[in-house]
Amino acid sequence: MKKTLLLGCALAVLTGTAFAQEINIVREVDSNNYDPHKSTARAAAESLFMLGDTLVSLEPDMKTVTDGLAKSWEVSDDKMTYTFHLKDGIKFCDGRDMTADDVVYSLKRWIDPETKSPVAWRAGTVKDITAPDAKTVVYQLEEPFSELLYQLTQSFATVIDKNDVEKLGADFGVTGLNTTGPFCWGEWLPRDRMTMTRHEGYNWGPQFYTNKGAPHMAKVTWQIVPEENTRTVALMTDQSQVTQYIPQIAFAQMRNTPTVEVHRSDEAFWTWFIGFKVDKPTVSDPAVRRAMNMAVDQDALARDILFGEVTPAHSYISENALDWDPALNDKLIKYDPEAAIKLLDEAGWKPGADGIREKDGVKLRPNLYIQGGSTWQKLAEFVQAELLKVGIGLDIQVFDATVFWGKVATQEFDSFGMSYPYISAGDALNLYFLSKNIPTPNRMNWNDPETDEWLAEGRRATDDASRAAAYAKVLDKVHEAAVWLPLYHEPMTIVQSVKLEPIVPHNNYGAGLYKGLDLKYRE
Amino acid sequence: MSATDTQTPAAAPQDAAPVHKSWWRALMRDRAAMLALILLTIIVIAAIIAPLIAPHDPNLNSRSVMQPPVWTERGTWEFILGTDGQGRDILSRILYGTRLTLLIGLVAVGIGGVIGSGLGLLASMYPKIDPWVMRLNDMMLSFPAILLGLALVAVAGPGVWPVIVALGIASIPDCARIARSIGIGVMGQEYIEAGRAVGLSDWTIFRRYLLRNSISSIMIFLSLRFGQVILIGAALSFLGLGARPPASELGMMAAQGRDFLLFAPHIATIPSVVIFLIVLCANVAGDALRDVLDPRLKS
Repeated sequence: MKKTLLLGCALAVLTGTAFAQEINIVREVDSNNYDPHKSTARAAAESLFMLGDTLVSLEPDMKTVTDGLAKSWEVSDDKMTYTFHLKDGIKFCDGRDMTADDVVYSLKRWIDPETKSPVAWRAGTVKDITAPDAKTVVYQLEEPFSELLYQLTQSFATVIDKNDVEKLGADFGVTGLNTTGPFCWGEWLPRDRMTMTRHEGYNWGPQFYTNKGAPHMAKVTWQIVPEENTRTVALMTDQSQVTQYIPQIAFAQMRNTPTVEVHRSDEAFWTWFIGFKVDKPTVSDPAVRRAMNMAVDQDALARDILFGEVTPAHSYISENALDWDPALNDKLIKYDPEAAIKLLDEAGWKPGADGIREKDGVKLRPNLYIQGGSTWQKLAEFVQAELLKVGIGLDIQVFDATVFWGKVATQEFDSFGMSYPYISAGDALNLYFLSKNIPTPNRMNWNDPETDEWLAEGRRATDDASRAAAYAKVLDKVHEAAVWLPLYHEPMTIVQSVKLEPIVPHNNYGAGLYKGLDLKYRE
Repeated sequence: MSATDTQTPAAAPQDAAPVHKSWWRALMRDRAAMLALILLTIIVIAAIIAPLIAPHDPNLNSRSVMQPPVWTERGTWEFILGTDGQGRDILSRILYGTRLTLLIGLVAVGIGGVIGSGLGLLASMYPKIDPWVMRLNDMMLSFPAILLGLALVAVAGPGVWPVIVALGIASIPDCARIARSIGIGVMGQEYIEAGRAVGLSDWTIFRRYLLRNSISSIMIFLSLRFGQVILIGAALSFLGLGARPPASELGMMAAQGRDFLLFAPHIATIPSVVIFLIVLCANVAGDALRDVLDPRLKS
């Protein structure tokens, strides 16, 4: 009897210990694959940051670039050559030592036209990437690229294993991925879950983490739960221990729930906006775009629809982001429906019999393409109701995620709903406003030589002041032209079980847990 | 042979007045059916006069989002059934939404009824085309209404009309089967043989005897089908395939309230209850009509 009891106790302790090293994270959607160079999904970044490593990392303040696989680096005076010195003892999950050649292979695959990476431009105009020895990587540019270090913190710059790529072929990032990160690939069941296991012996994580060794968690499961109420309940019932995908409506209740904690970071750059295709008959008129900006009350949107859990946006990037120009703060278009009506009247858009304005036979009824999902549905309906008050009809067209991205790469829409992560003004502006990025991601067809020149100036800048000055000119121009209708800036909010040590939210590419090195149950 | 003689077999209309009175009396005795009919009438009238009685514009938002109904602690008489997640008056949206929901049901059942019944009666009249029509029916039956709706929306885009067309098409096979079986019974009657013997045209036989003697049974089936169509239509709108914002439709309203289910359950519950009531009333009334009109059940 005693033996049985002792065995039972031992089993209970063992089970408890095992459980205390496993964590279940719920999220809204999955990625289409986990090839770092081929997927731009946030879900891919969330997993890749944990599975892999990059040369440099980003601290939670979203401004400081710090160590990653590289312990240090130097930049030449002409800002065209970056020399990275790698840490010692880095190993892939299969036990093989990682060398500078692996870094070179990974970065070259990223920019190789054959890879067809949609984000190759983020690597700058590369002259060559070489490995003079096993611990040194030299990254040479054709022209200075002021964003380079920030871009190298992204999941697209994850170091991968050449053998793995060749062995798996088209299944690379689908059936497996050999990487150097804190966690190793376990199993991926698309649209269901991804599991990853602790990378034993890992001790080359970024220094800003308290944990300098291998992760505390032996196993991490990313569970896909599309329905937001279900995710909320999963957190409240401890079926999941952490998520960043809790609807804003639930935050107040979550804060009062004794079993969970809510952590928010405003050092997060994720902005929701509606973009206008500036050469379409309805929204080609700057007066219309300006009036639409004036007609929508972003403060009410943030307060009533999103329960005060977001920051109303009047600017296209967060005012806390690198290179935002504070001089623009007073020039931003604010809510003023009467001024919107006056502006439309003066521009010749007169209300028709149905209350919708028209001019020269064109009805002011632009369409809006949005992705299916509760958030965009709510936002679009709010904007639609606001615009209706000034005589603008908005024809909302909702598309499933599988169709949406193809639809917004066409020329058939007047406006589109989008949200995006960024790390600086340069990151955001080069993505959306470069003419060579038409039709996507420059879905607005914004084709302005001056903007292109200023963006190039910003990219080539060799000091912070001239870079900021160049981007300030672009920010001023596109805000003045009302190319977008900004809606809100979303902070990073993580809801976690009180059983876990408090989590410091990160926001690199919207991945709140980043490398997950400090995920730990309370003792 | 005179026309009067040919009408003799179809004698039922001559007895129409007393039969009418008797089925109405039978209906009056069925309290559940009466209640359902009264409720359905109120709902239909309210939907028709929605623009006159709706207290607010159903599409305009207010700054009072998720206001609970008047009977709750925080409720106000300004928004009797509360407001939705956009601050729109739920009562006004219910009134307009019921309008659209009923319209979807009526038009879809109309399309399915006319085409399906026509095909079924023709199949019963012409045995040569009967197998073809029925095999076509079998093929159509293999497509569930929701799948058909999804396919149509994929081609035409979301909207009320694709849903109506999908539901109409989905109603055709059932209507055709019912009409065929009723028609076969009618075609076996002696007055049809008599009509043929006196040289009446097919069109006259179809119109004067087959259709007239089948129509009441078909109508009963359609009244039962109406409830199902409303339900499937609401389901398609719930999936985001039907009405497009800012229009209100009961299924869509229930879907919009789904995100607030834990915190403001009235937003999804109220339209769902209205759908439930409409479908229940339509089914109870349809059942009662069948009971009182079907001669086989009279005993």
